[in-house]
Amino acid sequence: MSDANPLGDSAELEALFDSIAVSAAKPAPPPPAAEKKSSLMSQTRESEDLTEDSQDLQALFDSIAGKDKTPRPAGGPGEAAGAEWPGQKKIFTQIGQMARQLRDTLATSGYDKLIEKTVSAIPDARDRLAYVANLTEQAACKVLNATDVANPLQDELETGAALLAAKWDALYANAMGVDDFKLLAGETRAFLKNAVPQRTAATKEQLLEIMMAQDFQDLTGQVIKKIVAFAQGLETQLMSLLIETIPVEKRTESVESLLNGPVINADGRSDVVVSQQQVDDLLDSLGF
Amino acid sequence: MADPKMRILVVDDFSTMRRIVRNLLKELGFANVDEAEDGAIALQKLQAGGFEFVVTDWNMPNMDGLQLLQAVRAAPALSHLPVLMITAEAKKENIIAAAQAGASGYIVKPFTAATLSEKLQKIFDKMGG
Repeated sequence: MSDANPLGDSAELEALFDSIAVSAAKPAPPPPAAEKKSSLMSQTRESEDLTEDSQDLQALFDSIAGKDKTPRPAGGPGEAAGAEWPGQKKIFTQIGQMARQLRDTLATSGYDKLIEKTVSAIPDARDRLAYVANLTEQAACKVLNATDVANPLQDELETGAALLAAKWDALYANAMGVDDFKLLAGETRAFLKNAVPQRTAATKEQLLEIMMAQDFQDLTGQVIKKIVAFAQGLETQLMSLLIETIPVEKRTESVESLLNGPVINADGRSDVVVSQQQVDDLLDSLGF
Repeated sequence: MADPKMRILVVDDFSTMRRIVRNLLKELGFANVDEAEDGAIALQKLQAGGFEFVVTDWNMPNMDGLQLLQAVRAAPALSHLPVLMITAEAKKENIIAAAQAGASGYIVKPFTAATLSEKLQKIFDKMGG
């Protein structure tokens, strides 16, 4: 990053930053506030030209800062506010610094174009995911409907067979007359010729329906693969951007939450369970 | 075995999951099942009375399963209700938090019919004993 920054935007950002840093230090003169900045800041700080824009911004900031101070009990402008919130100046300085670093890195490394492209791909990915959600829901409904149809058919076969079996048992136990036997033979014939084939055919139809409901896999698989590729690209870009811009000490722990959804990859993780057995063991070990 | 006429509330924000749990319960002989799509609706239904068992998901809008469990345990009229959690949340701290909040059982998704049957039986055994 050279002293002569060719980017107009950066100059504006710098002016904005300066105006914020200066205002935060008010009513002290501007230089001390600026002096506290990091070496990187002072490197790029050479072009001190305050554009019209930044003067407007300065005025805007002053007016906001002024408003902000009035309702506070301590009352006095500038000094009082500074006393109330000692970290204020530091925070403004850091935010300004981060904003400028980010902007410079984006522009010099061509990330701005990449990110623009990525951001425009997000609505597309969202639509694709909505499509996946829609198809999988439809499939789930089809399968559940099919089982709702097929289950009673199986029940009918079961009860019909049990009824006939009981009668045949009676015959074998010599507890049935000739007329009853003729009746049983007729019933059995009807069951085998009609009742069974009708229900097996109807059940097969539902099995076919269940099979066909899986056709979403082909479509969603394609869509999901595209989104995975897109997410990978986005991740790579954002990661390298972050690595370049965020100092190590600024990295924070990931947020601890109880709402994480399913564990996608449990490899090497000791904080999750992967089976019902582990859930039971954990609860047992705790005495629940 | 528990009373097959027992009224059970199944709470999950996905209708498919509610349907699957309802079907499994029916297979196990429990046909008297009602559904709620989040914790807030579930709590309303429970407060109206008549339920003897709650099967709930964790991650839901408005009021999640843990909040529902806490609300049930805090309400004198409902605190005795068995609450079985069926959830995709599989972190150990989730399981511990649920147990501490008074969950009667914890099943991680995806789960099997056998697991549901086993956990229900375990809860009924505890209730009976």
